[in-house]
Amino acid sequence: MRSPIRVVFEQRNETPKHLSILVPLLSVVAALVVGALFLLATGYSPIETYSNMLSDGFISSRGITDTLGLSTVLICTGISAAFAFQMNLYNIGGEGQLYLGMIGGAWAGLALGDQLPTFVMIPVVLLVGSLAGALWILLPAFVRSRLGTSEIVTTLLLTYIAASLVKHFVYSPGSFFVTKNSAFPQGRLVPDSASLTGIGDTSLYPTFFLVILITLGLFWVVKKTEYGYRIQVISDSPRAAHYAGINANRTTLSVMLISGALSGLGGAVLIVGPFGRLDPGIILLGYGYAGIVIAALARNNFSAIIVSGILFAGLRSGGDKLQISTDTPIHIGVMLQGAILLFALGGEAFRRYHIHAVRTERATQ
Amino acid sequence: MNGNIWVLASADSVAIATTLVLAALGALFTERAGVLNLGIEGILLTAAISSFLAADSSGSIWLGLIVGSLVGALLAGIHAVLSVVLRANQIVAGLALVIFGTGLANFLGKPAEGKTVATIIKPLSFGPLSDIPLVGPIVFRQDPITYASIVIAILASLYLFRSRPGLELRATGDDPATVDAQGLSVASIRIRYTLFGGLLVGLGGSWLMLAQSAAWHQAATTNGIGWIALALVVFAGWRPMRLIFGAILFGFTLQLPFTLQAEQITFIPSALMQMLPYLATLIALIGLSRPSTRNKLGAPKALGIPFVRDER
Repeated sequence: MRSPIRVVFEQRNETPKHLSILVPLLSVVAALVVGALFLLATGYSPIETYSNMLSDGFISSRGITDTLGLSTVLICTGISAAFAFQMNLYNIGGEGQLYLGMIGGAWAGLALGDQLPTFVMIPVVLLVGSLAGALWILLPAFVRSRLGTSEIVTTLLLTYIAASLVKHFVYSPGSFFVTKNSAFPQGRLVPDSASLTGIGDTSLYPTFFLVILITLGLFWVVKKTEYGYRIQVISDSPRAAHYAGINANRTTLSVMLISGALSGLGGAVLIVGPFGRLDPGIILLGYGYAGIVIAALARNNFSAIIVSGILFAGLRSGGDKLQISTDTPIHIGVMLQGAILLFALGGEAFRRYHIHAVRTERATQ
Repeated sequence: MNGNIWVLASADSVAIATTLVLAALGALFTERAGVLNLGIEGILLTAAISSFLAADSSGSIWLGLIVGSLVGALLAGIHAVLSVVLRANQIVAGLALVIFGTGLANFLGKPAEGKTVATIIKPLSFGPLSDIPLVGPIVFRQDPITYASIVIAILASLYLFRSRPGLELRATGDDPATVDAQGLSVASIRIRYTLFGGLLVGLGGSWLMLAQSAAWHQAATTNGIGWIALALVVFAGWRPMRLIFGAILFGFTLQLPFTLQAEQITFIPSALMQMLPYLATLIALIGLSRPSTRNKLGAPKALGIPFVRDER
């Protein structure tokens, strides 16, 4: 009788370099193949769709600036997710913290914009937005660090509450955030002092460079500072951290608040940048959720987030333009985003384990 | 204001609880096997649009329900492969499923935008019983799937706590090493219940589409019900019978904004009123999900932890 075949997962001691590059790359390819199957099944041409996405997202000069512009907010939500994920804190409410960043940023812009000059106003808007984002994670962070309540569903539920808050501020009559006596409810534009103009009349704003700087700064904080070291120890071994006298509760609280602030910054970036007003349209865009994918694909590495953030921005902005140019549903971009992450997660197994099939020896007398 | 509206509101709470019961039962079976599937919201949404498209093209609601349920199982299969076979991070895998499911549902749903289902699942009538004041509309004027969901919950309770395979299922979630030592395959049990869980979530999503919404509204079709269902499992202490009552309670908070709006009770702005179900869920979760309380409630001890046999 033939002995049965068993698949063995053998933990690798060291990951071969080529797999670290190959796995994400193949994930993208595999996701594109799946996307192509869906496109074919629904009667669209995959080649035409993808070449349009490629040129609208990455190749044309308009495409590049649009992509970099969009990547600004996506990198914010990406580093927000990664900053918490690296400590095994699953803040998946970046979406809601982003809404609060918009509310806070718009409030600061509208309330103070007429009194202060631009060089003061822009930092104020970004700061208030970040604080609002941190405020939105305060409750989940507090109960997580004090009571141990899992942050996963609490941060997510607050996103739905934040969405209602945005709608309330835009649709309730006489709201501070809307244009008075307008034919239809619409957010009021912040004054000029609180808004930037795109570089060379494109949709790429100077905030892009600020966000890149912040990302590199976080990379340095995590790798080189005592605070970053503490985060590493707690995530590797909470027990060791405890015996080393590290206050894990306080670190948990601060890491989550910083994570919330970074998503809030993403919302404020939209206020000084392309949106300029509190816009309920943000609710359908899912920039906060995209941050989760971006962080996971970059395996919470901050410098890699810049790359995956720009990649996803291209995917999204290319996908968004499809609707206009070829009538292909724009949601193909979001779908590919999810598919890439699913494949990357599966591929992770091949990176971590040496997987091979063996014929099991049957015990003989 | 008349008293009647509150009877209708209660009847609506029972009705809306159907999706919650089915989705939460699906999550419950999955979690009892030790697998955490956060992808419920994505599965609900994809199942909803699949059932719409199937019912719309075939003209049969029942075919819609079947297709929606199978799509639910299929998506849960992705989660099973990732988390059981490939030992991926279950939290991230579940989130990936939400994002993929949302994108896929909206992609598939494009031709459905602005369309409604020709026939919806209709409530049954029990003749004079349905006309009893108070009790009639609440108990005797629901549709077949609503009744079925309660029957499924009762059967699930019997299966979990009174049968041999139910015992094996609970053991797999609490102590997979012992199950393994008994000669049973932990992986196979986990995969089976993850698929079955997806089937139930899929049924819940299909019902939501074909009985409740009737029209496709993109992500607003499910509007976070999947996340509420996940919280409901904790609230119910991983027990099917308690889940029914929890679902009716949360169902009440879900329909209340609409009832108040219909009654033109506007002392609370409607956008703020819509926060109610999520706020209620949040408060319940914070109250109940401290690790010590969770254990007392009966959380599966190996939830979310991949099983790796010690190789000797």
